Amino acid sequence: MAEITDSTKNSKPLTKGSKLKNKVILALMIILILFPILQVTRDGYNYWLHMLLYVFLYAIMATSWNLIGGFAGYISLGHNVFFGIGAYLSGMVFVYLQISPFLTAPLAGILTMVGGLLFGLIALRTRGSTFIISTIALVLLVNELLDKWKFSGGTNGLPMSMIKMDGQFAKIPYYYYLLVIMILALLTSYYIRHSKFGLGLRAISQDEDKAEVAGIPTRQYKILAFGISGLFIGMAGAIWGSYLTYLRPSIFLPVNIGTTIVLMAILGGKGTVSGPAIGAAIMIAVNEFVVAKLGATELNIVVTGLILIFVLLYFPDGIVGTLKAKDRLPSFLDWG
Amino acid sequence: MTQMIQILILGLALGGVYALMSSGMTLVFGVMKIVNLAHAAFIILAAYISFWLFKNISIDPILSIFITMPVMFLIGVLYYRLLFASRADNPHFTDITVLVTFASALVIEGLLSYFFTGIYRSTNPDYATKPFLIGPFFVPQSQVFATAISILVIIMLWLFLKHTRVGNSIRATMQNRNAAQVVGVNVAWVSMVSFGIGLALAGAAGSLLSFIFTFFPSKHVAWIGMLMSLVVLGGMGSLMGAMLSSFLLAVIASYVSFYLGPSWAPITFYLALFLILLFRPQGLLGKKVES
Repeated sequence: MAEITDSTKNSKPLTKGSKLKNKVILALMIILILFPILQVTRDGYNYWLHMLLYVFLYAIMATSWNLIGGFAGYISLGHNVFFGIGAYLSGMVFVYLQISPFLTAPLAGILTMVGGLLFGLIALRTRGSTFIISTIALVLLVNELLDKWKFSGGTNGLPMSMIKMDGQFAKIPYYYYLLVIMILALLTSYYIRHSKFGLGLRAISQDEDKAEVAGIPTRQYKILAFGISGLFIGMAGAIWGSYLTYLRPSIFLPVNIGTTIVLMAILGGKGTVSGPAIGAAIMIAVNEFVVAKLGATELNIVVTGLILIFVLLYFPDGIVGTLKAKDRLPSFLDWG
Repeated sequence: MTQMIQILILGLALGGVYALMSSGMTLVFGVMKIVNLAHAAFIILAAYISFWLFKNISIDPILSIFITMPVMFLIGVLYYRLLFASRADNPHFTDITVLVTFASALVIEGLLSYFFTGIYRSTNPDYATKPFLIGPFFVPQSQVFATAISILVIIMLWLFLKHTRVGNSIRATMQNRNAAQVVGVNVAWVSMVSFGIGLALAGAAGSLLSFIFTFFPSKHVAWIGMLMSLVVLGGMGSLMGAMLSSFLLAVIASYVSFYLGPSWAPITFYLALFLILLFRPQGLLGKKVES
């Protein structure tokens, strides 16, 4: 406990010496905000927009996963269930009621969060491996149900009409929407990390019984963290469904998406604020590199699996965690 | 009525294979508290070995058990030594193993797709397509053979655990790891051997599975959901529990797939897994796992 309190004190948000840090973050933000101008003024940057969209999406998912998996230490291998639920909620509203996912995404996020709270209410009574298994069970179950349900299009899924825009600009609304969600997710993670709530979550990850004895409402904290982690993933799912223009269980709910999220968060540094997003960016870059060099998609998952094993066994603190422990972390990444 | 009994027979004829598939996973959890999410992938790996042997040197899949079991035993021992042996004392050992084994499953899946492609495979010996007819009922010969051999293997496992020195050590470690260590059981060695045995059971299951189901590299995701529900329903680490839940769920799934259609059978397992975790996380015959 003492150790946790100390580290919170040390990384008190934005005090002295954080001028440079703020500048770097600001510069990064401006670059990301202005980047689409390149695509608007001269076509040819759609590939980069697409890759950045991917990074935003997975950064949102890994950062959200980190709220329960990193801070509280409750590993969920089925977090993409939120992704699928958000996508299907907005997608079905769009197909049957013709309301744009851009309008319904926040609502889909909130409903996903409610779903997360309900699932958490039941599943978070278990711990350790039993909890992990229950999250896999959830994603398998939802996958099968959406696969069978006629209303959601079953295995063939639901096609959604494309956004009515010139191909040159079509990616840009999605870009900004996901960028905003990612910033919100990171800010939420930051504020939770530096709050009493976050302190409680990290006490749970160290020793839940002691945390409970110390008067932390562990059950409420865990369930709340699990619910909040569904909020942004649900919203991102809604936007992603519209971006892809079709919904299919095999796009949103395969088990290896859930694993990828965990891998990214652990690779970047679970329990840190910036780590999961960094992990997402690195994994996507590595993946793209492997696809470009090897081409073969079969070897792709071999590489993912091997990296995951290696990171888990030899590098459990991840990039940000390890650098921080060695005091080598660039200050603009040190958000606690 | 005849129909009800016919469905029951078909369910029971699969139960033995499910029991064999889940026995290795529950044994490994019982001894080492490793939730081996790669168990299904190892089963499919063994199925591919049998497939290769059948196609290339026409070894009968049932006979190929004598090859897959020792091969998988060796793989198991090496895999355990390489990844887990030095980490058994880590307080987060179980959590780590869940992720590491799942990652291993992805590696196996990727390698199998690379070497065998994603095409649906199965071995087709003569008995694969013929049924036994008993009065008004029928049972596929393949399922009868597979379940009979599964039960035979399980009985041999039981005799081994009950009547050999190594077996006794394994059972002692399953009951209480620390106490076993105190009375002089070499827990590290027992763990390694148990992991090997767990995978040898996966090997036998894979050979049998190769002629009763079609399989492809990514099939393990579906199987692992099913295996988890069998193992969790039985009580993680309880061999008897796994037997019981295998026959129980096999029969239930058999009725579900008759009345609602075969594509609903997987939902039976996932829903069962979900409900057990919610209402009785320790399973039918398990002790409470988490402290």
